Amino acid sequence: MAKEVLFSVVSPEAERDKLAPDEPPPGFPGPAGAFRFDPGSITYAERLDTLDNKTIYLVDIGFGGGYNFMLEVQRWFNDHMPSVTTIPRKKPGHVFSDDNNELWEEVKEKGDAVILGVAG
Amino acid sequence: MEAVAKADPRAIALPIIYTPDPVIGMSPDTLYKKLLEGNDPETGRPVIDEILDVLTKPQKKKKNGSKPSTEPAFPKEIKPDTEDNLQQAFYNRGWTDGLPIILPTEERVQKMLTGTKHSPDEEVGQAYDHDHHEIIKYTVRDIAVAAVMAGAKPEYFPVILTIASMRQSSIVPSTTAFGSMILVNGPIRNELKMNSGIAAFSPINQANSVIGRAWTLMSICWGYARIKRTLWSSQGCNELYNNMCIAENEERSPWTPFHVDKGYKPEESVISLFRGWAMVNSIGCAANRPLHEELSRQYTAIPPLGSRATIVMDPLVARNLKDNEGFETKMDYCRHLSENIRIKAEDYWKTDHIDMLVSSEAARGVEPFATWKALPDDALFAPFHMPENINLIVVGGETSPLWKASEYGYSGSASVDKWRV
Repeated sequence: MAKEVLFSVVSPEAERDKLAPDEPPPGFPGPAGAFRFDPGSITYAERLDTLDNKTIYLVDIGFGGGYNFMLEVQRWFNDHMPSVTTIPRKKPGHVFSDDNNELWEEVKEKGDAVILGVAG
Repeated sequence: MEAVAKADPRAIALPIIYTPDPVIGMSPDTLYKKLLEGNDPETGRPVIDEILDVLTKPQKKKKNGSKPSTEPAFPKEIKPDTEDNLQQAFYNRGWTDGLPIILPTEERVQKMLTGTKHSPDEEVGQAYDHDHHEIIKYTVRDIAVAAVMAGAKPEYFPVILTIASMRQSSIVPSTTAFGSMILVNGPIRNELKMNSGIAAFSPINQANSVIGRAWTLMSICWGYARIKRTLWSSQGCNELYNNMCIAENEERSPWTPFHVDKGYKPEESVISLFRGWAMVNSIGCAANRPLHEELSRQYTAIPPLGSRATIVMDPLVARNLKDNEGFETKMDYCRHLSENIRIKAEDYWKTDHIDMLVSSEAARGVEPFATWKALPDDALFAPFHMPENINLIVVGGETSPLWKASEYGYSGSASVDKWRV
């Protein structure tokens, strides 16, 4: 029985570097730091004691089916917590980016809370 | 998805709730009963209860986590072994497409390197590994390894290096089913005996098959094929086996070659890349309707984003358009298509990717989308408002006047010649 030949091979893996904190990944347009973020910098809005008589914005970010889901969230509140006012809205601008648009100012002024979704 | 959110510093701080299934395509009652009142798969609690809790209870900051490793731990060094064992080892490490490879021995890699004048250590480009947040710097030698694995000859190597230099992965980290396409123009097509004629898209030609496969193998080795880490496409796309690598049939085309349309000289050898979701074969020919009417029906099913389309037609089709229909140039016919491909507004706006990516533009008042959005459902309109974004390519063996219609977009060209010996 013939002995099988042993091969020496080269790995196809290339050299790797950790991404520099302030640089977008190669091939990706975007501002410095777009792919890096300090989660410790986040501060949360104060939670509501109760939802009674509050206004909740239901903001669809634009993925397929998201707006219809928000309409069902609205229906649920109407059925179970009718004192809550729900306002379904579609986020203007591109689905993949936060366009810092007027909607957020409206929410701050008129809303008590936001449900944001739904990612694909 | 929770594993992804935990590993992404942009998402880690957010309170994220998961529905049992994706919400798309569900009836109102299903959304209400199953997805809203159903359980979050990450916590086992009703989604609506979690929503109420997030709104009314203090949120704890989540900690940056690392995704649990699903990769088996392999020693970094690959020791000499038998061919069968090494084939399996390469597959197990996630370095192949599952088909047998040519093992990249030092001798074979050195031979591949004779296909270019560039130094083995020269950096060809960089890729980004979403999984590990790392930059991958690949050299001429790294690409030579992938080229050997794909089965390439040294004379194919400049084409493969050109593709690598374009810094694009053939595999896209999307839940959708992206495909990719490679077009080769110029003298190198014939030097490599590429197929631009009969069955150019079929798996019968060594250069077409191997060059296309090399792009996917390098993309796999860059980390773009780790399931549920970088690869999320629910069904995947089998065009990625060789990325529909073809050459244009410049000799039988009545029009200028594609690379000349893009500003290159006819004597240059050039790679062009395309990406999209749907490449649709014509079932028969345009026997009873003009081609633009046939295309109107096809693009009703695959409406274009940004007026982008790639139409690959047999030389018989192209010559008929020029010799008998009077379209002297590709652009003449692109303008004709722009004016005459018409689809219903309802068919356009109810298509998922159009609604997702174009409706917001219409809402912002961007034209022509705002005007299109205001049309009655049954109004016909011309969705190719920018004829320059329609790519016409001539490929085929003139046994039947067929074509392929796609919403594939053009994602760039590069000259092969700088990589040659």
